[in-house]
Amino acid sequence: MFFIPGPVIAALTFPGVIIHEFGHLFFCKLFKLKVYDVCFFRFGNPAGYVVHETTDNFTQFWFVSMGPFFANTILCVLFCTAAFLPVWVLKVEDLLAYFFYWLGISIGMHAFPSTGDLSNLWSMAPERAKHGNMLAIVSVPLIGLLYILNFGRILWADLGYGIGVGILGPLAIFRALARA
Amino acid sequence: MRQGVCCQCGMSASIRSFYLLNGKMYCEPCVWKASRDAQTKGEPSEYVSLTDNSVCVRCGASSDATDFQLVGNQPLCSPCSQLIQDWPYPTWLKAGLAFVLILLVVALINGRKYFHAGRSLYVGERLVDEGHYEQALPYLEETVRVAPESDKAVLLAGRAALMTGRVDIADKVLHGHSGGHFEDPGDDFRTVEALWEKANRAFAKADEASKLGQQGGHDADAARLMHEAAAMYPQAANLAIAAEMYDEGAAFERKDYDAFLSIAQKQWRLFPGPETAGVVASALACKYAITGDEQYKKQSEEMLLEAERGSQQPEQKKRFEEYAERIRYRLASRAIIDKPEYDKKFRSQKSQ
Repeated sequence: MFFIPGPVIAALTFPGVIIHEFGHLFFCKLFKLKVYDVCFFRFGNPAGYVVHETTDNFTQFWFVSMGPFFANTILCVLFCTAAFLPVWVLKVEDLLAYFFYWLGISIGMHAFPSTGDLSNLWSMAPERAKHGNMLAIVSVPLIGLLYILNFGRILWADLGYGIGVGILGPLAIFRALARA
Repeated sequence: MRQGVCCQCGMSASIRSFYLLNGKMYCEPCVWKASRDAQTKGEPSEYVSLTDNSVCVRCGASSDATDFQLVGNQPLCSPCSQLIQDWPYPTWLKAGLAFVLILLVVALINGRKYFHAGRSLYVGERLVDEGHYEQALPYLEETVRVAPESDKAVLLAGRAALMTGRVDIADKVLHGHSGGHFEDPGDDFRTVEALWEKANRAFAKADEASKLGQQGGHDADAARLMHEAAAMYPQAANLAIAAEMYDEGAAFERKDYDAFLSIAQKQWRLFPGPETAGVVASALACKYAITGDEQYKKQSEEMLLEAERGSQQPEQKKRFEEYAERIRYRLASRAIIDKPEYDKKFRSQKSQ
């Protein structure tokens, strides 16, 4: 196992950081939460952040925290789907396709919510689920899974997630299309 | 910026460096002492830092006249207050996101040419797995046209082609892929390799049969070899057809004209055309020569006419003229002689 400094990884995958932070900002603005500070990209840890007002509204907090997870995942699947066949299956030397695959994986790699967001969600979700909040009930398993996976970041779980989504997503799409 | 004065030591400084303890303002060193004293006396000893509501906590701008508006207990100047209420998207971010969307459209357009090939591959793969090789082949050929270097597509296309007896297509796709070299010789490669070798052995035998057939008088041996080739590679229907054609020749050689006619008629039913019509005409002429039954003669002449009608191409016309002359001789003379003998007798000066 070799060590690659975080800032190098962040620099190599900067589009994902920017899109992740944009996702936070978008949902803060959507729910009219105050935003105190925003950093879309920097060479540091974290590589980007949005400092915003806290809220007791679970739905708002869920979207602000999890929004980037879904936005980045969807964009990752779309870009990787467009490039999956020439890169992995057809073995066509198409530089544009390789560029889109890098872009897709860069975006997918930064899908994971931050540790702070996951901790807050994990502390709120079970309680809200007990009170019958449907979003909390539905998302508890996902939050739990992400909470556990988040510890795997030290072993590049976030990169693994990006690559996994970038391969399995398109594969599932094309298999389904072939059956249709 | 507001100034404060320590009630203990009289130090004067920015109010933000002072603390409030039991309603009195202290500097930092004095508040520690005062807090300890208050604790000893049993009085409240907790203190809080003072904020200067005339200084914006975000940008540090100060107001001499009035305090700034508190937002979440924090003083903020008007621009900062406005900013946090509705943080704008930076222009570069908007442009960047628009660029990402454009890239997504470009990616999908660029990927479109591969989507069709990819879908064909997956459909072809499914059909191959189900054993529908004939149906799978066009899909896989389409994929190979876009991706001739794809191991998977080429091996599937090669397998489908070999399983349907299309050795020409198999040869084209397999050798179009890095000259027939595959990086990972897995199970798929080994399956295709085994089929390819079997097909090659069968065609080598067929070639041997063909050479024997060309020599004349060895149609029985040629038929045996061709049947062996057809059994070895049953997917190639043309080998079985060729074997039957040699059977015709062998039947003629051993003067079994009933068998000759029967095979010729079967070939005509399966593959109606000028060549098979000509062979039926020849077999019927043999039957006429042996029996003298005018019915055979009439049928032979009809089939000869059929062969003539079908011979449109110059090559077909030339072949028709050659065998029609011999069949007409057979019908006129009721003498059955093979081509070499006929050539020797009537064409020795012209050719051969």
